[in-house]
Amino acid sequence: MSAPIIVVRGLGKRFSRGGKDVDAIRDFNLEIAEGEFIAIVGPSGCGKSTFLHMVGGFESITSGDLLIEGRPVTGPGPDRGVVFQEFALYPWRTVAENITWGLEIQKRSKAEQKAIVERLLAKVGLTHFRDHYPAELSGGMKQRVAIARTLAFDPRILLMDEPFGALDAQNRELMQEELQTIWNEARKTVIFITHDIEEAIYLADRVIVFSARPGRTKADIRIDLPRPRDIDVKKSKEYFDYRNQIWDLLRDEVLRARAEFA
Amino acid sequence: MMIVRWLGRYYSVFVLLAVYELIVRLGLVSPRLLPSLTVIGDQLWIYLANGQLLMHAQVTLYRAFAGFALALVGGVVIGTLMARSRLMERLIEPIFYFGYPIPKIALYPVFIFVFGLGTGSTIALIFLECIYPIAIHVHAGMRSTDRVLIWAARNMGASQAQVFWRVLVPAALPIFFTGLRIALPVALIITLVTEIIGESRGLGYFVTYASASFQYARGMAAFVVIAVIGFALDRALQLVRRRVVFWQRTDVEIK
Amino acid sequence: MAKERYPAWLGLLPPLVIVAVWEILGDAGHLPDYLPPPSVIARQTMAMLASGELFQHIGVSLFQALSGFAIGAFFGVTTGLLSGALQPVERFYEPLISLTYPVPKIAALPLIFAWFGLGDMSKIIIITVSVFYPIYISALSGAKSVSKVHVWAARNMGASRAQIIWRVLLPTALPQIFNGLRIGLALSFVVMFVAEMVVSSVGLGFLIVFAEQNLRFDIMYVAIVAIGIIGFGADFLLRQIGRRVLVGQMAATELRR
Repeated sequence: MSAPIIVVRGLGKRFSRGGKDVDAIRDFNLEIAEGEFIAIVGPSGCGKSTFLHMVGGFESITSGDLLIEGRPVTGPGPDRGVVFQEFALYPWRTVAENITWGLEIQKRSKAEQKAIVERLLAKVGLTHFRDHYPAELSGGMKQRVAIARTLAFDPRILLMDEPFGALDAQNRELMQEELQTIWNEARKTVIFITHDIEEAIYLADRVIVFSARPGRTKADIRIDLPRPRDIDVKKSKEYFDYRNQIWDLLRDEVLRARAEFA
Repeated sequence: MMIVRWLGRYYSVFVLLAVYELIVRLGLVSPRLLPSLTVIGDQLWIYLANGQLLMHAQVTLYRAFAGFALALVGGVVIGTLMARSRLMERLIEPIFYFGYPIPKIALYPVFIFVFGLGTGSTIALIFLECIYPIAIHVHAGMRSTDRVLIWAARNMGASQAQVFWRVLVPAALPIFFTGLRIALPVALIITLVTEIIGESRGLGYFVTYASASFQYARGMAAFVVIAVIGFALDRALQLVRRRVVFWQRTDVEIK
Repeated sequence: MAKERYPAWLGLLPPLVIVAVWEILGDAGHLPDYLPPPSVIARQTMAMLASGELFQHIGVSLFQALSGFAIGAFFGVTTGLLSGALQPVERFYEPLISLTYPVPKIAALPLIFAWFGLGDMSKIIIITVSVFYPIYISALSGAKSVSKVHVWAARNMGASRAQIIWRVLLPTALPQIFNGLRIGLALSFVVMFVAEMVVSSVGLGFLIVFAEQNLRFDIMYVAIVAIGIIGFGADFLLRQIGRRVLVGQMAATELRR
């Protein structure tokens, strides 16, 4: 493997709430190579979203190192594009205008913006909705706009925080396929947070199982399923084995997390 | 300890008061026009002690409360009517909807002729002005009650009256109190306005008379009393709200 | 919904009935002097419109009210947004606003007149200060209602702080700002009216006092109707503007009426 693009060493995050200190993450280690698709699964409240926020530069680091291309993370920026679970679309802008938002900040020319918007609308299948407002779209469509917006400014790294969590099961399956297709074209480095083990296995090169709080790596499982993965792979025996393996690991952590709050 | 935190939170108030006093002491403006805080304090003390400020305050408060109480009753009745009867809603709502942006203070001269100059016309105006927000909020509060709350009550065998008193009324309380929070200062403002325009008693009159006689320090002292009253009324209402609507922390907006 | 059982025009009935009864009673001479029938009021309105006198008064009142409104709105929105964006700004203003909010600014009217004279400027000052409050509060509330992820998405895409205030906070706050503007606009007319009643030589407020003193009740009602129409008309215009500006905002339910 060539030098990893993301290096996490002994990472720790401590929150102080009402006089009490809580370690969301403690001694977390991870290395991600360029072009790898990493999925992180873990129980609720284990700190996986917090980790993503730290990579994104929204939360500060309490201890340890978080290096992107050898340099520590200091704040948010368009090199690490984030897709939020809540979509975070601007309701006062149309679909097309939401996609160009980041491009406007980067002062791209109108012509450039238009070209990029058309390309991405086609890619996510929303060409006819370019002048609609987010309020008029379904959850699945909104998420597609959010993905298009992030892809528009072409970040090197994609951070996806349970992007399909707010969708119903049917839309989720379809979006997984679509994401795969999109990713296959560009092969960006992706960190993908999810609750859904099957989703993680389908999409990722490696699945990281996060432990209950304080979060750290419980397991790092390489998914050796051939790419590109079509939906039939979900019916294969290997897929089934992976699922059982990961759930066994995860189940312990979920029970531990539950016990903490009981 | 608490004092330090309190000072820190309100630091801008003290800063501004200090700046004001500095401007006065440096003589940048004529001290007759802008009296020093000590002079204002003096006048405040004198007129509190001789009972005048209290007398005028009483008059103002009586008018404000009387009008407010009437508006409260009227507003609740109308608001409830509109919420319970579609027919009433159709008939009455446009009056509120169209009448809202019209400055009802314009009708004050008419009221003076009807009720005569004095407390009566003031109370009538307060009634007219305050009934709007109260009725609108009662109406909205009852209308916006979540259907499922009513259905659950019916499911458990509640009668119409029980649904009204046990579901609609409590559900409407938060929004109702928002309406009160809007209407109460309005009552005070209207009272003061009528006193400024042409009355012979009340705090509004006191300020006007003092200003007209160039006794600005006296006028500002009265203003301080008005400020304290307004502030205290608002806080008192919030306290009542916290006790009555104990299940909700913050004010609710009408959507 | 059961509402459709009763057609919308029913709403016109109560005012029409009142006007009709008023006219009938007035013509029959059953009403006191200070309640002239609508026909008399209408006639006087026509006369004053024709002579241009009404426009003169309306013009002056409107100018003062709108000037005060514009200035107060400008400061209210900018200060409110800045307070919503920057903690230190909010911490400075919060005690000042919350302490003086329940205080009727109009009580300072006699003092303002004494300090700044009886001219236009005093009236505009008091209108500006009065209007500032509801607009500041709604702009602040609107800005603070912005969701974290919207700000994060903007930072993710490389926006600067100024760009975040202008491109995220302002649009988010816009529906509430509009509600604040409506309140402020209505308030500006009320304050203008009162100020003119206290001291003025021209304007609708003055007109009422003049009419009252000269027992010209017809003129009095002309002024009342005029201020009513202006108040309603201005609010209507503002709502229309709001409807255009706030396309796509679900929160604009109030303005959609």
